[in-house]
Amino acid sequence: MRPGSFLGQHILNSPLIRLLLQRLGISFIVLIGVSMLIFVIARVIPGDPARIALGPNAAPEQVASLRAAMHLDDPIVVQYGFFVLDVTRGDLGKSLYTNRPVTVDIVQFLPATLELVFAAGIIMVGLGLPLGILAARYHGRWPDNAVRIFALLTVSAPSFVWAVILMLLFAFYLPLFPIAGRISDIYEIDRVTGFMTIDTLIAGNLVAFQDAFSHLVLPAVALSLSGIGQAARLTRANMVETYEKPFIEMAQAYGFFPSRIARIYVFKPSLIPSLTIIGLDFAAMLGNAFLVEAVFAWPGLSRYGVAVILRKDLNAIMGTVLVIAITFLIVNILVDLLIAFLNPRIRYSTRVDA
Amino acid sequence: MKTKTWLAAGLLAAIAFTPSAYAGGTLRLDEVAVGELDPAKASDYADSILMFNVYDTLVLPRQGGAGHVPHLASNWEIDGATYTFNLRDDVAFQSGNPLRAEDVVYSVERMTALGAGYSYLFRGVTATAVDSLTVSFTLETPYSPFIAALVRLPIVDKALVEDNKGNEEWGETFLSSNGAGTGAYIVTSHNPQEETVMTKNDNYFLGVAEAAPDTVRLRYGLEAATVRTLIARGEHDIASQWLPPEVVRALSEDGAQLFSETGTGAFYLKMNTTKPPLDDVNCRRAFAAAFDYDTAIQMIAITDDVSAGSPATGAIPVGMFGANGPERVQTQNMEKAREYLATCAYDPAEISLEVSWIAEVPLEERFALLFQSNLAQLGVQSEIIKLPWALFSEQVSNPENTPHFSQIFVNAVTGDPDTLLYGMYHSTSAGTWQSPENLNDAEVDAYLEEGRTATTEAARETAYSKLNTRLMDLAPTIYGFDRQSIFAASNRVNAPAISDPSQAFGLDGMGFSFRLMEVVDD
Repeated sequence: MRPGSFLGQHILNSPLIRLLLQRLGISFIVLIGVSMLIFVIARVIPGDPARIALGPNAAPEQVASLRAAMHLDDPIVVQYGFFVLDVTRGDLGKSLYTNRPVTVDIVQFLPATLELVFAAGIIMVGLGLPLGILAARYHGRWPDNAVRIFALLTVSAPSFVWAVILMLLFAFYLPLFPIAGRISDIYEIDRVTGFMTIDTLIAGNLVAFQDAFSHLVLPAVALSLSGIGQAARLTRANMVETYEKPFIEMAQAYGFFPSRIARIYVFKPSLIPSLTIIGLDFAAMLGNAFLVEAVFAWPGLSRYGVAVILRKDLNAIMGTVLVIAITFLIVNILVDLLIAFLNPRIRYSTRVDA
Repeated sequence: MKTKTWLAAGLLAAIAFTPSAYAGGTLRLDEVAVGELDPAKASDYADSILMFNVYDTLVLPRQGGAGHVPHLASNWEIDGATYTFNLRDDVAFQSGNPLRAEDVVYSVERMTALGAGYSYLFRGVTATAVDSLTVSFTLETPYSPFIAALVRLPIVDKALVEDNKGNEEWGETFLSSNGAGTGAYIVTSHNPQEETVMTKNDNYFLGVAEAAPDTVRLRYGLEAATVRTLIARGEHDIASQWLPPEVVRALSEDGAQLFSETGTGAFYLKMNTTKPPLDDVNCRRAFAAAFDYDTAIQMIAITDDVSAGSPATGAIPVGMFGANGPERVQTQNMEKAREYLATCAYDPAEISLEVSWIAEVPLEERFALLFQSNLAQLGVQSEIIKLPWALFSEQVSNPENTPHFSQIFVNAVTGDPDTLLYGMYHSTSAGTWQSPENLNDAEVDAYLEEGRTATTEAARETAYSKLNTRLMDLAPTIYGFDRQSIFAASNRVNAPAISDPSQAFGLDGMGFSFRLMEVVDD
């Protein structure tokens, strides 16, 4: 047996790799399904994209020629065929909204949204989980009640309401943070990754980094608040349930410190359901960010996505939805892997099967 | 000693807080996304602002009066349907290329070939370079407002576009993110969804005043709450006209100044004249008399003195050819409305009318509610329907699907009444977003034809005046109010071309020629 094929065999036998391949396969099928669905839905929205693009006074023959160029008069199956052909060549077509290739728009707008969503995700995990642990640890006492009220408040109001409230409090009455954009006008930062905080660091400009960071605070907090509440509530509920399990009673009987019980024996198994929801929340923020992006004039993909739907910009709708769907799927795969890693039952059962 | 120190400190502070003279700082303003930089695709207000600053046109509307003055052209001659322009010989593009007749020819050809934006104004126009500084336009059919239409023909640097067009015929990709004009401002960065940054063109052929802004940041798609906070923090200078009246009022109470740009358009409640009961002229007259014009204007009032609308005096906005005088201000008259309704062939008790409003313009819902209550006073039932713009523009293509009442704001895109009225009322224009009336009246058609072919201003005035009378008699439309655009601005800015009627261009967006503004340096 050649060493190469042995290595290949070994990798394939690894449960995590098998899981990854399986998930990738399913994701690909989901992606095709999503693209078909959106392709049809986008065409059902009323309005003629060619007419909208050329303006209300364009000559009918010019509208007809643009329709022909966009294959809009062909049967929908043929149109989808053209779309798939273009996608395989890395061409998502031209946006009628910005008059640029959709790929250029996505490259320009996606990093801004990702930066915002990553920051919000970090805040969500960094605050939501500890609050949940705190509430469960002091179950039924005042920290628990305080966390519950906080969670209820954050979950019940949508993020754009928080965006306006945060702006009023921390930018209008207390002018602590900037309000609009990603960085102050005075800085000229070369675009490398498109993530302003990283690009300022690459440029070695710490003052600009601080400025970019302060621009990120309010929108990221606004976007993360409902996620924090949800993560805290879920973690708390799961932990409270785990506290009632016999193995915890045993740990308590052994006289382990309560903080150790909470951290190791209760938190870890309770994390699994929370992780699934956090993963979904994280990916959903990509699409939900548009109102927060609008309030803080954040030039992101989410805002672009809504604008192109309103203009019935077919190519841009497809491009944006596909990017969001791909991100959703990637996050889900990561969460599945993380859960497999955290849960010995899944890990070992996969190994036995293998 | 101590007192002296305090006095000195006070004096210094006073000097520091006294607004310095206008000295060309940064101007920050906002508009609705997206900013279309390609002049052949420009169609809305943000695009107009870009067009008028990055590019120039052969003529400009006369400031504070009727008619046009030479701009890139030094003079022109009209011979029937042929217009010949001599170009100035001292104009250079921002690239350094000199302006030549072939650039003008290229600009017309590019615009008509792309077929977007304002290209419909130049259909059937053939441009020829007579020599390097003379260009002639030949029109397929006589069109007397052609000079006015030229304010929508920005001249593009042919050589620069040809060098950068890649494999596209007309260099759309290049021009959608780069300027190629002679204008007073040079685009330094452009993100159609975020902002366009422009700097003063020091080589502008007319020169740019010291006090004009050095840098302009035109931001797109800011929310009302964001604009309000930015202005309160001194981080924004001119808000777009699309802010809700309450926010403009709040800004004004906080000390912002208000610029009002007298527009060349109006707010209309258009009646579908093909649909019963609106196919009966007396029914239409009844509904036009029942509309509460005064309350509509109060609904858009910002302060006691400033409103986003002024009373309409007829079918043609005040200030245009053929407009009626102030004695003809439209007012509600329920008595007359009842009289007309009594002579209408339909029974009011059996009528149910659809009053639509455009989903993207929430203000129109308030007008719909107002009109619904006016109709109820007449004993007529109505239903309010909300239509997204895309759905509305599709429905109006078929008179049967067009609602009884459609609410539309329309502007004369060149400032000439032809571009306002022909598209609304000529029988060949029926069934577009501008003409949900589907009017088909030979007399109206004749006046509209006369208006666009008559060669003297007096003859045009007469034609439009007769048209105005005829339209008021036919009542295809309720002429809600003449529109005015209100901009809340910080006290750093002075913009006489917007707010001072004696310096205004009478063309939407042209008041935002930044070279004519003054900004305090900070």
